[in-house]
Amino acid sequence: MRRVLTIARIVWLEMIRRKDFYVLAIILAALLFMLLTADVFGLGSTPRYLVDSGLLMAWIASSVLAVFLVGRQLPAEERDGTVFPLLAKPISRGQLIVGKWLGGWLACAAATAVFYLLVTAVAVLREWSPDWLTLLQCWTLHVCALAVMSALALAFSTRLTYGAVVTMALVIIGGSIWMLPQVPTLAMYASGLRMDAMLLLYYLLPHFELFDMRRRLVHDWGPVDWTIFARIAAYAALLAALLLVVAWLSYRHKMFRRSELL
Amino acid sequence: MKALEIKGLEVIFRAWRRRAVHAVRGVDLSVEENEVVGFLGPNGAGKTTVIHVLLGFIEPTRGEARVFDRDVRQSIARQRIGYLPEHPQLYRFLTGRELLTYSGRLFGLKGSSLRDAVERMLEFTGLGEAADRKIASYSRGMLQRIGIGQALINDPDLVILDEPTSGLDPLGRLEIRRMIGDLRTRGKTVFFSSHELSEVELVSDRVVILTAGRVVAEGRIEELMPAGKRLEQYFVEVVGASWAREAAGS
Ligand SMILES: Nc1ncnc2c1ncn2[C@@H]1O[C@H](COP(=O)(O)OP(=O)(O)OP(=O)(O)O)[C@@H](O)[C@H]1O
Ligand SMILES: [Mg+2]
Repeated sequence: MRRVLTIARIVWLEMIRRKDFYVLAIILAALLFMLLTADVFGLGSTPRYLVDSGLLMAWIASSVLAVFLVGRQLPAEERDGTVFPLLAKPISRGQLIVGKWLGGWLACAAATAVFYLLVTAVAVLREWSPDWLTLLQCWTLHVCALAVMSALALAFSTRLTYGAVVTMALVIIGGSIWMLPQVPTLAMYASGLRMDAMLLLYYLLPHFELFDMRRRLVHDWGPVDWTIFARIAAYAALLAALLLVVAWLSYRHKMFRRSELL
Repeated sequence: MKALEIKGLEVIFRAWRRRAVHAVRGVDLSVEENEVVGFLGPNGAGKTTVIHVLLGFIEPTRGEARVFDRDVRQSIARQRIGYLPEHPQLYRFLTGRELLTYSGRLFGLKGSSLRDAVERMLEFTGLGEAADRKIASYSRGMLQRIGIGQALINDPDLVILDEPTSGLDPLGRLEIRRMIGDLRTRGKTVFFSSHELSEVELVSDRVVILTAGRVVAEGRIEELMPAGKRLEQYFVEVVGASWAREAAGS
């Protein structure tokens, strides 16, 4: 476990020492600031609107961060040749996979927490009185979704190039959030093989929309029932574990190309 | 116990829609404890491939490899190995000290023994001054030193060096030679590949010459060659003869 954490720490260190990370943070801060100060459609004064769009941004930004950060770990190790001194240590490939995933996931969770704090702080200044328990649930399920996204990006990155990982993972995540909930309705109008294919897709792809509790929070519907909460968290754990096993199976016997820099 | 033992090793690289490369074709090799063995061969002979098998980067197509009697496919086999890659490439965003600490942790060191090991390695590699600078700013020679530091941090019993002197100036090469000598006096085993035959001659107990994935000569230097003959001459003859056989056979 200590070795896993050591690998995870390197992911954090690398993230906070990269310039593009700060660029991303500054762009996000600027966007958030604009959103919070501008009076779009004359709705700016309602804190609900603020929370809704602020947290939507948190979803987009954290998904992008998860895919970019976790998806580049293994390809970068391989491209730079740092994977050789790393794997020459007494660690297994499984430990490497778990360490990279854990490091990336926790980094994203922390970044998301900062984002939620910012949005909440600004909304509270505008006299929003949040339901704290719902807010906590909202963040926790968001972090659960990030665990799955990180594992998805990592699984792709065991075999694909960085660019391909980012494209595939973002298409799947975006598609699953925006299109998957519509699939059953669409399937009703289809028939035969097409319907089967659609439903298969529906059940196979991860359902990230389940983790999105923004509406409950914004409309004051109150916290979700704990058994449902636990089931959704278990769904995330299952999916993440499954994806990590896939990542491990695909990485276990992988041979590395010698670095291209040489 | 043997420090290192390879039996009937074959490695075939297969890639989709590409010709398979038979990089190692049946290598038997063993290294006793406290021996310094030079691993020689022309470019593309398969030296790095054999070393990669020893570290578990590549799984043998056939045959097996053991280090201190442990199958190299187990990660625990690497607990007693220190490895310097052919071109050490290390995390550029870390400082020298951080890299050593990180490597030590991966070997399972912690607390004061970790701190002591890091200080010892900084002193040993002479990088004390540059310890808190980013590795991105290191010169070729400094990279080699920090690479050696991360390899030796756990005081390994078997040290595997892939071309440790490539790209170094004469002083740097001398230091590597001294280091190998020092490791031997401390009872360690060193297995290193090199093209600097005059260096190899000076530090090795034994040499193994690999050509086209096969061992073509092996033994103590004084037994292989009549007195007065240089290793370089011998190498050219042996490799040339092997190539001639190969050409005649195919
Ligand atoms: N991943 C790979 N896929 C295909 N062929 C490979 C791969 N890695 C190495 N080879 C081939 O295997 C052979 C042995 O290469 P290797 O790097 O082991 O030689 P070497 O003895 O270390 O050479 P050098 O002295 O140049 O370092 C070469 O023909 C090389 O092209
Ligand atoms: Mg080589």
